[in-house]
Amino acid sequence: MRTISKKLNNEEIEAFGKEVDSLREEVMSKVGKEDADHIRFIYKAYRYTEVLGRGLIHFSFEPISFVAGTLLLATSKIINNMELGHNVLHGQYDWMNDPRFNSRTFEWDIVCDAHQWKFYHNYMHHTFTNVLNKDHDYGYNFTRLTEGQKWKPVHLTQPFTNLFLAMNFQWGIGAHGFRVEHLEIPKKQRNKRSLKDFKKVFFKKIELQVVKDYLLFPVLAGLNFPKIILGNMIANLIRNLWTYAVIFCGHFTENAESFTTDEIVGETKAQWYLRQLKGSSNLEGSKLFYTMTGHLSHQIEHHMFPGMPAIRYREVAPRLKEICEKYGQHYNTGSFLKQFASVWKRIIAYSFPDSIAGKLMGNRKVYLEPKGMISQPSFQISLPAKEKSVTLT
Amino acid sequence: MKTFPFIYNQPKEFLKFLQPGDWADFLLGEINPRFSVTTVKAKVIAVREETADAKTLVLKPNWLWKGFVSGQHVPVTIEIAGRRVTRFYSLSSFPGEKYLSITVKRQAGGLVSNFINQNIKKGDLLELGEPSGEFVLPKVLPSKILFLAGGSGITPIHSILKQLQANQFKGKVTLLYFVRSYEDIILHSSLEEIVKATGFLEIRYIFSDVPREGFDSGFLTKEILQKYTDDIKSYSVYVCGPGPMQTKALSLLEGNEVKSELFLLPGQSQLKVKKTGTVDVFLSLSHKTIQVKGERSLLEELEDQGIYPPSGCRMGICHTCVCKKSAGSVTDLSKGEVSELGEENIQICISRAESNLELEL
Repeated sequence: MRTISKKLNNEEIEAFGKEVDSLREEVMSKVGKEDADHIRFIYKAYRYTEVLGRGLIHFSFEPISFVAGTLLLATSKIINNMELGHNVLHGQYDWMNDPRFNSRTFEWDIVCDAHQWKFYHNYMHHTFTNVLNKDHDYGYNFTRLTEGQKWKPVHLTQPFTNLFLAMNFQWGIGAHGFRVEHLEIPKKQRNKRSLKDFKKVFFKKIELQVVKDYLLFPVLAGLNFPKIILGNMIANLIRNLWTYAVIFCGHFTENAESFTTDEIVGETKAQWYLRQLKGSSNLEGSKLFYTMTGHLSHQIEHHMFPGMPAIRYREVAPRLKEICEKYGQHYNTGSFLKQFASVWKRIIAYSFPDSIAGKLMGNRKVYLEPKGMISQPSFQISLPAKEKSVTLT
Repeated sequence: MKTFPFIYNQPKEFLKFLQPGDWADFLLGEINPRFSVTTVKAKVIAVREETADAKTLVLKPNWLWKGFVSGQHVPVTIEIAGRRVTRFYSLSSFPGEKYLSITVKRQAGGLVSNFINQNIKKGDLLELGEPSGEFVLPKVLPSKILFLAGGSGITPIHSILKQLQANQFKGKVTLLYFVRSYEDIILHSSLEEIVKATGFLEIRYIFSDVPREGFDSGFLTKEILQKYTDDIKSYSVYVCGPGPMQTKALSLLEGNEVKSELFLLPGQSQLKVKKTGTVDVFLSLSHKTIQVKGERSLLEELEDQGIYPPSGCRMGICHTCVCKKSAGSVTDLSKGEVSELGEENIQICISRAESNLELEL
């Protein structure tokens, strides 16, 4: 993968990291009532859209109120997943000490179990962002997005499998969760039993979701039940398409880089920041758009500061961009359409072998960061938890 | 027995998943913020200034409030800069009154007590927990009671006195109230009213900082006790006040039946230590390893690093912060005991790291 950022020497990288750190500290010191009010407003919006949406679907007699109800329910599910769920599960609001917004107790309106998601997303994906074979979100194991992944004929189908994934995205991320947990167990301990246990967590959550959307609410409507099932299906479909689109724009746009496990050995905090920057891409739009993406429109900021209340990314972004310009680092941003188009360009290009993919992508060269730059790292990527044991003194 | 469609989940789990409590609270809260089906929410209907640094909040709780016994305390949760914080306060009203009240004196450096004194106004909302505490009257009332109050320690005693007044107590009550100066007497007018309205109460104010003519000054001593009691052994004694006063009282009153109540302010435990070096705390649910010094409670040290586990009273009463320790050893600050190395549940607000730890957080 080619980089379009300036290559920095060690001192420059550390200075960059320092500036990013001080920006983070400054903004975090302001976190308080405003952020609490924001998440409570979001919670309200989520509750109201759900009541109104389900109510309209239930009591609609003509298509207009049915469509309005379905759209409201889809909105509710999007808010629940993105601005509320995603951010709460990152622990952004743990400081409020409010059980409704605590990452330990929150469960969301999606078939993916929150606890499994926190493992593969908060830990694996956010620590090893875009590191092949370590970040299991990179292509979700079936989409080839870089020369670093070996081409197989099956990849020719990836434009179609991705369309299928987009429509069933919640099932995709749900199934991803238990598989990643299984893969991250040391090989010797992996067995059918452990896979079954992880699967059961997923199935438990599926059952809750399916019963709620496709049994409980339809039953409440009596003979009108097909309408409720249809409304819930469409709402889930809209939410799936939207979250797929937003999430794929986060790391799979044209200029988002990928890394190898060798590159992150002994990585310092500053180098980690740089990797987050190079591996992520932003979307531009209105404040409503930002909220509906759960501020994943600010993927770069989110990846540098995953624990910061998301609404703060709006004020962080222009300042971070300035720092990036100062250090000659590419700040990957663009409109939703432009970024989403470039994601699909990449999905289609890399479905072909490297010779064709290279041509389609503009003959990019593989660029590797020099290794072992800092002899004494002040911050180290830790090993996966399950391989680590606590030593007692 | 699980029946279709309950293959993986029990019906109870389904019910929990549908969040009936959260839904009800949300909808009721939209009608009136005081309404709830899960939490006692109370509206401040009056704020009374007691002294320059103490205020009484008169509270109107919702229907979930089940009442209390005079002398008990209650966890009070308020929001400060978006963050919910909990502290325990004694109820200063007595159960027969229409509304509840708590009386809060500012503590030097106290987050909540200062916030209540500065910012809480009529119309604000706060959350109450379940009242608890053994600092209450026995079923069979003794004939002679001695109350020893220090500073804001008067609040539960005030509640008990009001209760005795309501019961038309026939015995004899002596209250020795140790306070910095005449102006610092909390609930002064109400105490005087009880004296006037009843015949059983005798109050002696004793000033520790600013002497006043006609009053005693100083701290609790044997002489003062003897001066105001005839036969000390015949009294039931209630002590509520700062730590040194309680220690003194307990040593002077050996052999008596003494009930005492002492609130340790957060972070006030005597077991603070200085250590060299750090220990590693591995948080197994968030896959983070952080270094702590092991000088203060785990909760405080985690919060310093931007990790906010759920917490409540911060003094080991409410058990909000309980979490599983899978490995390592901690010191229980309330007992001063060092724990085993193995798996157990600990309250992180009163536990200090002794060795490398693994916590389920």
